[in-house]
Amino acid sequence: MTQVKAWAGYLLPKLGQFLFVVVATYTLVFVLVHFLPGDPLIAALAAKGGASTVIDPAELDALRVQYGLDGTLWQQYFGHLIAAAQGDLGISIATGVPVTEMIGRAFPFSVQIASLALLFGVTSAVLITFLAYAAPWPWLRQLLLQIPPFGIAVPAFLSGLLLISVFAFTLGWLPSAGARSFDAAILPAITLALPVGALFFQVFSSAVLEAQNSPYVFTAVAKGVPPRRIFTKHLLRNALLPSITILGLLIGYLAGGTAVVETVFSRDGIGRMTVNAVLARDINVIQGVVLVVGAIYALVNLLVDVAYGFIDPRTRIGGGVPSRARLGAKK
Amino acid sequence: MTNLRKPGFVLGLIIIAVAIVASLAPQLLATHDPFESVATDRLLPPSAQYLFGTDNLGRDLYSRVIYGAALSLLSASLAVVVGVVVGAIVGLISGFVGGRTDFIIMRFVDVLIAVPGVLLALIVVASLGFGPVSLALGVGLGAAGSFARVMRSQVLRIRSEEYVEAARTLGVRSPAILVQHVLPNAARPVIAMAALEMGTAILSVSALTFLGFGAPPPAPEWGALVSAGRDYVATNPGLSIIPGAVILVVVLAVNRVARSIGGDE
Amino acid sequence: MIEHGSGAKTGSGANSVAGDGAAADDNILVVRDLHVSYATRSGPVAAVRGISFVVPRGKIVAIVGESGSGKSTTSQALIRRLASGGRIDSGSIEFEGRDLGPMSERELRSIRGGRIGFVPQDPSKSLNPLMRVGDQIAEALRLHLKLDKAAAATEAVRILAEVGLPDPDARATQFPHELSGGMRQRVLIGIAWACNPQLVIADEPTSALDVTVQRHVLDNIDELVRRHNTSVVLVTHDLAVAADRADYVAVMSNGEIVEQGTTEQVLSSPTHEYTKKLVESAPGLASRRLTPSLTALGEQQQSSAGKLFTHTRPAQPAGSATASGAIPAHSGADAAGATNILEVSNLVKTFALRRQGGGSQVLRAVDDVSFVVPRGSTFSIVGESGSGKTTTARIAARIASADSGTVSFDGTDVTSLSGEALRQLRRRVQVVYQNPFGSLDPKMSIEKIIAEPLRAFRVGDRTHRAEVARELLEHVSLSPSLAQRRPTELSGGQRQRVAIARSLAIGPELIVLDEPVSALDVSVQEQILQLLVDLQVQFGLSYLFISHDLGVIRQISDHIAVMRSGKVLEAGTAHDVLANPQHEYTRELLAAIPGQRAV
Repeated sequence: MTQVKAWAGYLLPKLGQFLFVVVATYTLVFVLVHFLPGDPLIAALAAKGGASTVIDPAELDALRVQYGLDGTLWQQYFGHLIAAAQGDLGISIATGVPVTEMIGRAFPFSVQIASLALLFGVTSAVLITFLAYAAPWPWLRQLLLQIPPFGIAVPAFLSGLLLISVFAFTLGWLPSAGARSFDAAILPAITLALPVGALFFQVFSSAVLEAQNSPYVFTAVAKGVPPRRIFTKHLLRNALLPSITILGLLIGYLAGGTAVVETVFSRDGIGRMTVNAVLARDINVIQGVVLVVGAIYALVNLLVDVAYGFIDPRTRIGGGVPSRARLGAKK
Repeated sequence: MTNLRKPGFVLGLIIIAVAIVASLAPQLLATHDPFESVATDRLLPPSAQYLFGTDNLGRDLYSRVIYGAALSLLSASLAVVVGVVVGAIVGLISGFVGGRTDFIIMRFVDVLIAVPGVLLALIVVASLGFGPVSLALGVGLGAAGSFARVMRSQVLRIRSEEYVEAARTLGVRSPAILVQHVLPNAARPVIAMAALEMGTAILSVSALTFLGFGAPPPAPEWGALVSAGRDYVATNPGLSIIPGAVILVVVLAVNRVARSIGGDE
Repeated sequence: MIEHGSGAKTGSGANSVAGDGAAADDNILVVRDLHVSYATRSGPVAAVRGISFVVPRGKIVAIVGESGSGKSTTSQALIRRLASGGRIDSGSIEFEGRDLGPMSERELRSIRGGRIGFVPQDPSKSLNPLMRVGDQIAEALRLHLKLDKAAAATEAVRILAEVGLPDPDARATQFPHELSGGMRQRVLIGIAWACNPQLVIADEPTSALDVTVQRHVLDNIDELVRRHNTSVVLVTHDLAVAADRADYVAVMSNGEIVEQGTTEQVLSSPTHEYTKKLVESAPGLASRRLTPSLTALGEQQQSSAGKLFTHTRPAQPAGSATASGAIPAHSGADAAGATNILEVSNLVKTFALRRQGGGSQVLRAVDDVSFVVPRGSTFSIVGESGSGKTTTARIAARIASADSGTVSFDGTDVTSLSGEALRQLRRRVQVVYQNPFGSLDPKMSIEKIIAEPLRAFRVGDRTHRAEVARELLEHVSLSPSLAQRRPTELSGGQRQRVAIARSLAIGPELIVLDEPVSALDVSVQEQILQLLVDLQVQFGLSYLFISHDLGVIRQISDHIAVMRSGKVLEAGTAHDVLANPQHEYTRELLAAIPGQRAV
């Protein structure tokens, strides 16, 4: 019973925060779209039919109703919000297809490369950190530590085009475009993994470095623990803990990154869909995508918080009466 | 400055200086007119005459890259200014005033951070129309959130320092504490962060121009150059890879200098 | 048979400590002419410069030195694990007759933890926060004694019991953050002794602990030494601890051993200048109330002569100038004010401790505390961590506010002053903080730091303030040439002098000193305390002095209050409390002061 209460006390505020971020994201996009100069519908129609498109006012009003852009701003704001809560994100101005359906179709392709990229990126970051940690010579360590700052500075379109020109055109090992086969996901995933892995590396390696100079590692050395065991038993867990908090940030990076990567590799997906929507000034689609991405970001952060509560004994839930040590520390 | 003894830092400074000259006075560095097509010299490989080769219309790629610096770097700089000014002011107020003001401001910042920078920039671009200025505003807005966070955490860190409490018990007034203690001690990390943000902004701006949201052609923005060369990547990979590499080199230089300012190594 | 002074420096005296005709193989550890240096940007810096000593079987050898003496580097060199950039340049470390220098890492690993245990300095950070403490002991057992998982776990619980942890079965499954500092140190001692090593190196094992806890932990080490016949290298800054616990003492300064011998010889008849100074200034060993030096008394008489600095004091405005008029006009230190400069009564301060997952618990950090500080005297509050002494001082200085109770300064209630009125109170009440590294803004020059209160109260112009700053530097025995330096260029003791000078600048009557010397080396401690005593006479100051160290308290106090768990247990004149303690806890505190066995 107390356990349940403790979890509720821990989770409810975080759940509230999650809902707040989602609603506030929606609000932010709504404000940006409607308060920046220009009528969004006319801009979209102009993009569709050319700058000289002339539409008679009655037809325009009908279109406004169709795309949910009629009524006062308050009506629109709450109307869209309620509809969104029921899973209805409106209809695309450019294609006439429901936005929910468009996102549902594009989503799996993006998730495929994003999760692969996360896997590649995090694994290689941990691996490089371990190699640098275990490197017997300082110069090798320095060299390894130079890789990630490089990864952050490489524009995704450059690394993507390089990979295409080497592995697709020169060697012919992997396809340069498309999204139909698993093969086709590898090059885009590597492209995305580069900045994501580098970002993770920055946080992770500095956590390892900090842990490495910490007194508890000294204690382990003085105990006679061999280096590999020190890394796995003492450093890794302590360093991963602060690192998982940037997972949400990485998801944001991935979402932004897909726009470029999917364009470079001519792949279907959320990113390319967004780019096309912006080119068509299709605000309904843009709004829908941002809402979904914001919700995913908030959800990941929620999961990270929960995971933290499980993993770190210092924040573990329902841990009985605080000991004297904790009382002293709070002083 | 001990930094001047590090070769990486000096090389970074030289590259940045060249980039600045290119964006302010491109005619000093360019070898050709960046818009002039020579019909007979199409898709040539790099040579002494055309340092980076020519594009599909027979224009000198090197001169186009040089002339592209102005648009690309100026949008990036504008983005950083927007992000830094907005973010720093918001973070400073939030951290120094504290309490409920801080709480409310930070919830707004949370939202700015929840939307990935590229998407935020896309919304702004979709609303304001394409072009370098709306690009810069979008990218800047995307950076403002994390900037506000950094500034706030710096202010909070310094505020909890014992010398700030000491100043209070000496009878120093709050505004004087802000000016004499908080700002001088926050300056260095914030400047370093702004410098680092410059690298990120160059990348974001070039990504967005690559996607086609920048100035209309034939303006030689760096991202647009890469995009234009894409169709020839099978036969003339240099056409997109060389401008891409230029972006990489400039970003590396900026980041290297930024890290030295921050005292990272 | 002791080689004195210079003899030890030559590096030939490896057997000097235990030379009493004992055979060489009675020494578990023989260190010969050890040199250690650290690589820095400006080239290698020598940290240990040719030290030699031996550790006889079953004996405790203390290495005593102040910060920067090289004692911690020495302890780390003994298991060949130096901080990054460190290297052993020459010399030998023979453990059981074998030199550790040329050994492979693999061989060293079997010695570390197996045959040489190590008790580190900081119990709060030296245990892996994500590993149960039982497992951290079991790790050593499984590595060296090759016990299986179950056997190691059982043995770990037995070890926890042996180091005196109550309820060891339950404790073994807890994480470090659930244990107190003293308990964590016992776990670390357990790790060090887990595999029954021949030698244990203890690097400041108790310096992070309260004095009563320190005593119990050291008793525990003594017991383990006796039971297992272990040899110990005890590294400490505290000569008194060494005096109580060690058989032999080696005194280190600047990377060299300046003197070594049996504890009795070194302490009762030190021959080296540095040792003499150290023995004299050790607060636990021979402390007494400090008296103002002659020069201070001389200056007091001429203090009314037209010095720049004294001019700043009458700059106190008449009552009308203070914004709210809440503080009555202060017409110079000599004027008759209330007999008690500060009176606090019935202070209560509670903190709500929020627990994970709702529910909270109220901690009464200050629980009905009352005391008075007579004008011109020093009132001290002594207590261990968590006693509420610092919170009390902060309330008294009006940095924090109390839940209830009153603070009255010079006969006026100042409990609820705020805003400008509170700021005006700062002219008369100043604070000196514990940590001289944190309380000075690193970006400011010394001159600006000292003149800051003058600037805040718009006293004088820029040149005048600069002159006052220089004069104050002289008052705290610093060279005025330091005026343009930054705090980072100064030593800890110099910084604390700057902090004191700053607190004097505006001419206050009461200074609250929160552990002002506990971050400093002992030899510096006494200088600062002497300075405070001199300044008190010169400027007619009253002090509220906070410390955990009864040795320090004894040197400076006129009145003492003993605090524990937020309550004042006992208060009275310094003499009464120290010579005739009424409360059991006070007696325990006094008994726990190290250095009682010696001389």
